[in-house]
Amino acid sequence: MKVKRKTLFAREDLANRLSIIAKQHGYTLYNLVNEILELAIQAEDAGINLRRIFEESWILKTAKRDGFILGFESLWYDMADMAYEKDKDEAIKRWFEAGVWLAKRYASAGIEDPFETFKRNLEAYTWNVPEFTIEKGEKTVSVRIISPRFSESYTILYSAFLEGALEAFGYKTSSKEVSVGVIRLKAVGKEVDVEG
Amino acid sequence: MSKGKRLVYVSEDLLREVMEVARSEGKSLGVFVEESLRLALSAEGVGYSPKEAAELLEVTHANRILGGAFVPLDVFNHLVRVAYRSGRKKLKEIWYESGVLHGKYLKERFENPVEAFKAFLEAARWDLSEVEVKEEDDAVKLRCFSTILTKEGTEILLKYLEGALHSMGYKIIKSDHMRGMIILEFKR
Repeated sequence: MKVKRKTLFAREDLANRLSIIAKQHGYTLYNLVNEILELAIQAEDAGINLRRIFEESWILKTAKRDGFILGFESLWYDMADMAYEKDKDEAIKRWFEAGVWLAKRYASAGIEDPFETFKRNLEAYTWNVPEFTIEKGEKTVSVRIISPRFSESYTILYSAFLEGALEAFGYKTSSKEVSVGVIRLKAVGKEVDVEG
Repeated sequence: MSKGKRLVYVSEDLLREVMEVARSEGKSLGVFVEESLRLALSAEGVGYSPKEAAELLEVTHANRILGGAFVPLDVFNHLVRVAYRSGRKKLKEIWYESGVLHGKYLKERFENPVEAFKAFLEAARWDLSEVEVKEEDDAVKLRCFSTILTKEGTEILLKYLEGALHSMGYKIIKSDHMRGMIILEFKR
């Protein structure tokens, strides 16, 4: 059956860009515009905020590149408890090393502000954490995490991960407060005299 | 600066639906269309086609509902290895239960929960190089392959898959697995 078509006005610059994309993917502009509008309706029907999803669509892609895997947090907490109970030191070491690895990846990537990029991405990856802030001063960094769902061992291990990352960025932890679901870290640049 | 306009074609049925949705959101047709096109372009900017974005949309939404969180793969492998050594039975149980919860959610929300599950696995479990789902009548064949998944990781993923498919109303008729490979056949 032949599908009846109607026309509508779209902003020329948007339509032109879509037309280029359609060609690149072997689509017609008609197919692409229809797909987009179908998606918008689908999102509306499902009660999903399409804007938010699209704005955050980079997260999965970047997380994958950064070697993160996505799963249910309750599983991570249960497994962290089991691993921590079995060998606390080894578990802390692993998380610390994972932090070092990630920070070195950013630091060596040749990007303009590796710390800022690291901070932005890590904040995005912790979408399950109600409060996550990293503030960078001239020679200091402070981190504040509040997540009531974190188990005790997960909190300790995540803190080790952050310390590893900060160390690889050239900071040394100067104060630390870690309790169930709460992490507060302060770190200073290694070249700074902590006592002074 | 005023922007020029260009005529684009849309299927008549779809346009009717778009008009309804736009009205329900209190927007004009023009604004709704412009916003949708603009959002699609921003997704394209990070490498997603509308179809991929649609799948991503479901995955991300499900993750927010069910409590998805990221962990580094190396840490994940360590957690699995140690937890497996210290309590294999318990570990398998929690993964199975997690699968049950996920399956229930998918069954509740999607017309084709098995396809939605496949999309989820592809997007979230990038350590799987291949996920294939074949549905034939009332049976489902699920194959997962990975070159980096550990033996322990494979076993707990198997429990997860079983949990999810059981809660979708399937029972196992065939199961085969080895490191980095899972082949399952389920029947309604």
